[in-house]
Amino acid sequence: MSTPIPAGSLRPTRTSTISLAGADVLLADRDRSRPFLLLHGGGGAATMAGFADLLAERTHSRVLLPTHPGFGGTNRPDALATTKDLAATYIALLDAFELSDVTLIGNSFGGWVAAEIALLGSPRVSGAVIVDGIGIEVADHPVTSVSGLTPAELAQLSFHDPTRAPRPPAGGGPGPSPDVQALIGYAGPTMSDPTLAGRLGAVELPVQVIWGESDGIVSPDYGRAYADALPHSTLTVLPRTGHLPQVETPEELLGAILDH
Amino acid sequence: MTTPLAVTRIAHASQLIAIGELRILTDPWFTQTATYYHGEPVARAVESLGPIDAIVISHEHYDHCDLDALVAGGLDRSTPLFGPGTVTALAAAKGFTNLHTVEAWESARVGELTVTATPGQHGVPEVTFVISAHGRSVFFGGDSLRVPELDEIPERLGPIDLAILPTNGLCIRPAGLAQVVMDAEQAAELTAVLQPALAIPHHYAFHSGFLGDRMITRADQNPRHFTAALALIAPEIASRIVLPGVEVSVP
Repeated sequence: MSTPIPAGSLRPTRTSTISLAGADVLLADRDRSRPFLLLHGGGGAATMAGFADLLAERTHSRVLLPTHPGFGGTNRPDALATTKDLAATYIALLDAFELSDVTLIGNSFGGWVAAEIALLGSPRVSGAVIVDGIGIEVADHPVTSVSGLTPAELAQLSFHDPTRAPRPPAGGGPGPSPDVQALIGYAGPTMSDPTLAGRLGAVELPVQVIWGESDGIVSPDYGRAYADALPHSTLTVLPRTGHLPQVETPEELLGAILDH
Repeated sequence: MTTPLAVTRIAHASQLIAIGELRILTDPWFTQTATYYHGEPVARAVESLGPIDAIVISHEHYDHCDLDALVAGGLDRSTPLFGPGTVTALAAAKGFTNLHTVEAWESARVGELTVTATPGQHGVPEVTFVISAHGRSVFFGGDSLRVPELDEIPERLGPIDLAILPTNGLCIRPAGLAQVVMDAEQAAELTAVLQPALAIPHHYAFHSGFLGDRMITRADQNPRHFTAALALIAPEIASRIVLPGVEVSVP
């Protein structure tokens, strides 16, 4: 249980006076729209954008999708050195937005970020969905290295059906590919933290672990180990799905979350 | 002349019951955590409760026994506190000094106020209460299951003016959906036995967060299921769904 705080203090009614065409309107604004924080993996925010739209439209929710600093050409300050630092930054984001009952949804590296946020014990975060996450070390089930892979090789590992992978742009160029440098900047070359699995035993939040049956980056057995490391978790395996369920089978992912 | 009886629901199962000049606080819960949400405003802060003559607490769960919030809010720890032994032991450890341990069918009296513990069941030791003073009586159902012994209340303790009952039928998912709180129909059935002048549902807005509602708890959040069930079983009994902070007078 997170430390109790005064009821209603996280997301207070905002009262303000709005000036509209000469009229001052005293307004009390109560916002209980359901917040989700989406945490992308090595492929960047683009791998989450379509699912963010689906989630927001279908559930009439507020969906926040930050780009991890350092991805997509953005700057990563030196102070943001590790996955834990990134997690603390996102708690600060939720504080700044005065949100509560926030559900984290993280894919791949974003699943690791979600786990680190859950470990920080913020009262603003009520649960996490880890989708084909990385970060733990599991004997005999290593994380497949994505360094130096061709897009075709990567698609083969990341998708149940590689023909469903997003196509490279018509004008040439490499097309969608993981931002390996940005990723390794946080995750390190092994893309794991040997202490994470042990630390997950302290997570008090409910965590839904969802895994693509055909994930070639981190196997379903790795996913089972992830769920086993979390005290309050369930594991859902999605058939005919790889490492990026939100791209390959987004409706099935949404259904697994909503119908749980 | 009949002594005035009024109740103000603060939130969840926290009620401020006034019998004449006596003011009684039930099952205090004034804080929240990552997976415990009132799901409704908390109408009073501890600091603004005003004078409290007695506290009654049904069981030790956080959302009914938020003693830390009472202490933080400066509530006088010499206020008489009634509850089962599990609760009074906790309260003693928090510095409360005027403790009255009551298990099922035991009574304690402070001045004009008599608090009788009535049976309860919830997975941890729980009692319900009949709170009486000046010829007025309130049944407080905490968040108990409906246990058959509760049907003995009218015979053993006389008529009830006001019945306050939980209605969400809370089930714990990791425990195989074990039910731990009476549901709306069970609350209506108990109300029909108690025959109060007025029945008020509580303990229904609570939730565990988006994932918590899917992975930890399952509960009925609609209090109209109680009033509808009661209208079928015992249409002669008045019921009222009350927003937090609204004072209701009981005829």
